[in-house]
Amino acid sequence: MLYNVHFGIYVDVAMPVEDKSKSLLPFLSSPKLLPDESEAEFQSGLQSLLSELDNPSPLAVALVTQLNECLWWIRRHTVDKELLLHEAMARILSKAGSYGATYDNRKVSEALEHYLDGSADKDESEWIEDILIESKLTLPDLRIRGFKDAANHIKMVDDLIHRQHQTMRHLQRSIDSIDYKSRLIKRMDLELAALESKQPVKEALTLDAEPS
Amino acid sequence: MTPNHPRNLTNRCNALKSTGPRSASGKRASSQNSRKHGLNSAPDFESSSEYRALVELIAEEGFSAFACADIASSLLNYRRVMDAYYDTYTSPEPVDEFLRDANVKASNPIFSDLLSPSGSEPEDVRDMAAFFASMQRQERRKGGPVSRRSSDTHKLIRYQRNGIARLSRAVRQG
Repeated sequence: MLYNVHFGIYVDVAMPVEDKSKSLLPFLSSPKLLPDESEAEFQSGLQSLLSELDNPSPLAVALVTQLNECLWWIRRHTVDKELLLHEAMARILSKAGSYGATYDNRKVSEALEHYLDGSADKDESEWIEDILIESKLTLPDLRIRGFKDAANHIKMVDDLIHRQHQTMRHLQRSIDSIDYKSRLIKRMDLELAALESKQPVKEALTLDAEPS
Repeated sequence: MTPNHPRNLTNRCNALKSTGPRSASGKRASSQNSRKHGLNSAPDFESSSEYRALVELIAEEGFSAFACADIASSLLNYRRVMDAYYDTYTSPEPVDEFLRDANVKASNPIFSDLLSPSGSEPEDVRDMAAFFASMQRQERRKGGPVSRRSSDTHKLIRYQRNGIARLSRAVRQG
């Protein structure tokens, strides 16, 4: 079913929302994802955002796609904050005590990751505990020191997240503006149609009133 | 190969003697070494097929020809920034693990062999070790891959700010 929205433009209102995002140009609709991310998840987020719009235009769909991408960037940067902390903690441990002579950040980082998520084997656990004892640190102390060391980079990531929020505000305002414009034009169309439908009655009245 | 393997160190020390590319193609290639994202170059969207397709798509929504052109180029510009953002995020400056993990003190005998096989001046060895240590400090200060990608991506904030402001203005004024 085609519906005349404004100025002779036809939008297929019967088209499901998910098809509208696919009808966009490929460079706007295909997301750039990281290897471990799911496109299905990205598309499902996009569909839920699109479903909040009443009959979105292609431009609105393009902007909503950018907005969804911002949400994904926020997610990525939030994970980065935790990774930064982990990186700093591994760095402190690898430089700690007598182990500092044989600096191997990657090995410590992997062992610490396993230790923190509880998947470390006996050797790894003992090794991390030995370094902690040798450097006179507890896990909370290590976390605090790691946070202090990574503070600059964590601040940078916070800036990146803040920027994505600001971008989302801009996009939201643009989408609102398109939505308002289309509603306004639709309303004017309806008013015009209403006036036109009243016109014959008016004309008939004028004819009746004329003297014979 | 361990970080302190003599061959590794030899390669590093020989590389320090390099005076750069000599051939024209080598110079051309190395002139692009510091090019990070290309966002400062003026883009030519108007001649691209994406631009024309986008203008047609936007024109169907009742925008004026001028507004269509403005919105299309702003949207393409914003995409360009976000693509550079993605590329910067996914390919940060690699960590030089050899330099980061090398044990400078343990490398002193290798430095002396390199400088003079028959026995070098202790001052030269000390200078070389100090130089190597300062490079290592620099490398360690940059942090791991996550720190690097955060600081690299952070440099693109202003491009993103300008790109989205331009797009938003074009859509609202259209």
